[in-house]
Amino acid sequence: MLGKTKSRAAGIGALAATAALVLAACGGGGGGNSGVQTGQTFAQCDSSPNTCNSAAADQLQDGGDVTMAIEKNIANWNVTSAEGNVLETGLVTKGFLPYAFYTTPDLKPALNQDFVTSADITSTNPQTVVYKINPKAVWSDGTPINADDFIYNWKVQNGKDCPDCAPANTSGYEQISSVVGSDNGKTVTVTFAKPYTDWKNLWSSSGAMYPAHLAAQHGDLNSPAGLAAAYKWFGETVPTWSGGPWKVDNFQNNVSLTVVPNPAWWGAKPHLSRVIFRIITDASQEPTALQNHEVQVLYPQPQVDLVNQVRNIPNVSSYIGLGLTWEHIDFNLKNPALANKPLREALFTAVDVQAMINKTVGQFTNKVKPLGSHNFVPGQDGYKDVVSATGQGSGDINKAKQILTSAGYKLQGNQLIDPSGAPIPTLRMRYTVGNQIRQNECELFQQAASQLGVKVDIVPTDSLGKTTSSGDFDVIVFAWVASPFPFGNAAQNWVSNSASNYGKYSSPQVDNLIAQANTETDQAKATDELNQSDQLMTQDAYVLPLYQKPTFIALYDNIANVRNNSTLDGPVYNMQEWGIRKG
Amino acid sequence: MLAFALRRLLVSVPILVLSTFLVFVMVSLSANPLDPLITRNPPPPPQTLAAEAHRLHLDQPLMERYWNWITGIFRGDFGPSVNSTMNIGHEILSRFGVTFRLIFLAMIIALILAIVVGAVSAVKQYSKLDYTATFFGFLFLSMPAFWLAVLLKQAGISINNSTGGQVFYTIGASSIYVQGGFWAHLGDVLGHMILPTISLALISYASWSRFQRGSMLEVLNSDYVRLARAKGLPSGVVMRRHALRNALIPLTTVTALDLASIISGAVVTEKVFQWQGAGSFLLDAISQSDVYAVEAWLLISATFVILFNLVADLLYGVLDPRIRHA
Repeated sequence: MLGKTKSRAAGIGALAATAALVLAACGGGGGGNSGVQTGQTFAQCDSSPNTCNSAAADQLQDGGDVTMAIEKNIANWNVTSAEGNVLETGLVTKGFLPYAFYTTPDLKPALNQDFVTSADITSTNPQTVVYKINPKAVWSDGTPINADDFIYNWKVQNGKDCPDCAPANTSGYEQISSVVGSDNGKTVTVTFAKPYTDWKNLWSSSGAMYPAHLAAQHGDLNSPAGLAAAYKWFGETVPTWSGGPWKVDNFQNNVSLTVVPNPAWWGAKPHLSRVIFRIITDASQEPTALQNHEVQVLYPQPQVDLVNQVRNIPNVSSYIGLGLTWEHIDFNLKNPALANKPLREALFTAVDVQAMINKTVGQFTNKVKPLGSHNFVPGQDGYKDVVSATGQGSGDINKAKQILTSAGYKLQGNQLIDPSGAPIPTLRMRYTVGNQIRQNECELFQQAASQLGVKVDIVPTDSLGKTTSSGDFDVIVFAWVASPFPFGNAAQNWVSNSASNYGKYSSPQVDNLIAQANTETDQAKATDELNQSDQLMTQDAYVLPLYQKPTFIALYDNIANVRNNSTLDGPVYNMQEWGIRKG
Repeated sequence: MLAFALRRLLVSVPILVLSTFLVFVMVSLSANPLDPLITRNPPPPPQTLAAEAHRLHLDQPLMERYWNWITGIFRGDFGPSVNSTMNIGHEILSRFGVTFRLIFLAMIIALILAIVVGAVSAVKQYSKLDYTATFFGFLFLSMPAFWLAVLLKQAGISINNSTGGQVFYTIGASSIYVQGGFWAHLGDVLGHMILPTISLALISYASWSRFQRGSMLEVLNSDYVRLARAKGLPSGVVMRRHALRNALIPLTTVTALDLASIISGAVVTEKVFQWQGAGSFLLDAISQSDVYAVEAWLLISATFVILFNLVADLLYGVLDPRIRHA
């Protein structure tokens, strides 16, 4: 009898456990249909990207914690160094590093008036920019922020004063001939040896300021070795100092970073008492952490499953933004077959970019549209669609065949023959191994090319850097990051002798226009020159822009003043305004 | 016994060296640690890339790099990481500490469960209890570790939602801030440990319980157990001293041999539950092409596996005197 009861109990237990697992397998967060946002917090973000999800101070609780997920550990604290220049480090340091300019959610540069009350070009020959530092601006130990900080941060990034510093970028800093302080160091005059169009990118949020007076404690700032020692010290030391609204309270390696309000901050006081950056290195684990209230804000790379999972969590709002990272297909012009423009033009015309979008990122958003520029993205001042009119990316096979026929190409069976009678060799198309979206893009390109009689072999690479820099490809798909300061980028990507011009495109006209655009003091003129160069390059069918990669933000509805910012500044650009709604 | 142990350890050294060499060559040739820098937009200046290549010894021939690494280990130097601020030796030891906390607990739970369930299943062969245990054994055996972990997470969240409290956590080994004293902290640590430990334990339990059941059945049908019963020894004594003890001998070996697969299970579990242990260390190192970090991980984990197997062999002798005499 007892045995029977026991076995029945075991049976019931087994049934219950199985049911629990099955239920768990089916369990979302409940509520909401896939594809429909449960929260309405971001409802205004399309029309008012800079002010959506706003709440005035009197509608917010005093204090409170918000935890945001980030996907990488902070391995190096010097965001201006090559090693420390990663998105996550940029995000977490933004709260305690001063910077002159930042980028708002509508992709426009804005002056950080807490730090510099003005930054103006006072002369165009030589180009001179005068920065007025906020008189109240001090480091957390009370030391005034002054011209010495500008000078130190210029020296370590100009590639000349500190050869061993290994900065992320020297663009612009190397063109500065002098940085001089006056008014007790509160006015900084920067003179350029030759004009630099992207001057707002200097000392901006993507390469913010480190304190010179602390650097001087770790090396002689008048010697290359001293500068390098100080620069290295900033990289390996968790900052206890601050020049922003927040300061570091606690860092647990590989686990989290907590920032708290900086008592020495001279601007508007932050609403929250703590922001915790929780390191979750696997994005697919973020939705469950959000569902379980272990984090309240997510900012991952969107994937279909992840987006749908988040959209099903009650009381959570999410938003898809369009970022500055853009996907593209490039030809290697060193391949003799691809040196002929008609073949390139025909292949790009045969590619249906909209179909590519539909089969990849279009599965979770309908916002993504074919991109029409190599230097700007829609929403940026200066964006001009130079691609659509050429028919490239249209998927028009007949037009593509016409281009080839007019140029003397012939089709023999399934093989395209060039005007000299030689068959077009098989093209090797590369993409980063494991990237499913890019694999799909390669397959769609392969299908389009096969309709023109061109065979494409898809060969993944596990070292994109090696593949691009060695030119080990005929066709390749990858992404560039556009910038609110696009002129330097254009020079690096498209100019003949640039190391980043991997497909070896060369056009003296394009080179000249980009060079001119990079040395203008008139932004409108520079933009026009850049678009002219883009028009010429597009006609040469060298790189086909596909689309802007989407970004994704999600949070609980009670968190205010957090909004999407698809630039390198990210949603933390206004962290002192973040708060928790009352009630 | 001591001579046997020393002999076994000496044989292991060339195996270790060979495996580290093969992995070093494979990782070095297949990946480029400078890739993340080269593919940046805008890219760093050439002198930055050159300095980084020099720091990571990429300007040295492959054999020379390997030789410097292997000899450096004797000085406690595991080589430079792609993260210049990370000391590989220091980092990996703390990470293995986290992993072994997880593995140790999971193994203890899995072993206790496997021994009890396996023994009871054997004693009650073909009963409903046996069938139920068999069903769950095969269920967990056939479930991918990743999927089981995800299901447990969802189950934990469902329980949290239904109780309105925060009993289970899905990421990390503890909360960053815990209100309250010792008991609150203990509850928080347990809340973080339960799901990953169960997740890892159930996978090992599944195979071990089947093994224990088979082993126990074999022993129960042996002549010496029949003789013990015929001599009129109480059933409990027969089970404990004669049957169970002998049935544990094969399980000891299986447990030791399974350590490598438990470590790989821990890699998955750590990833899902975001425990920053040796598993996530390896995954990060591979994704960053951090050759020296991958090498250090391999060296240490292989050493542990070898030592564990040795301990199992020695334990075998303790459990079975015939081995000692042999």
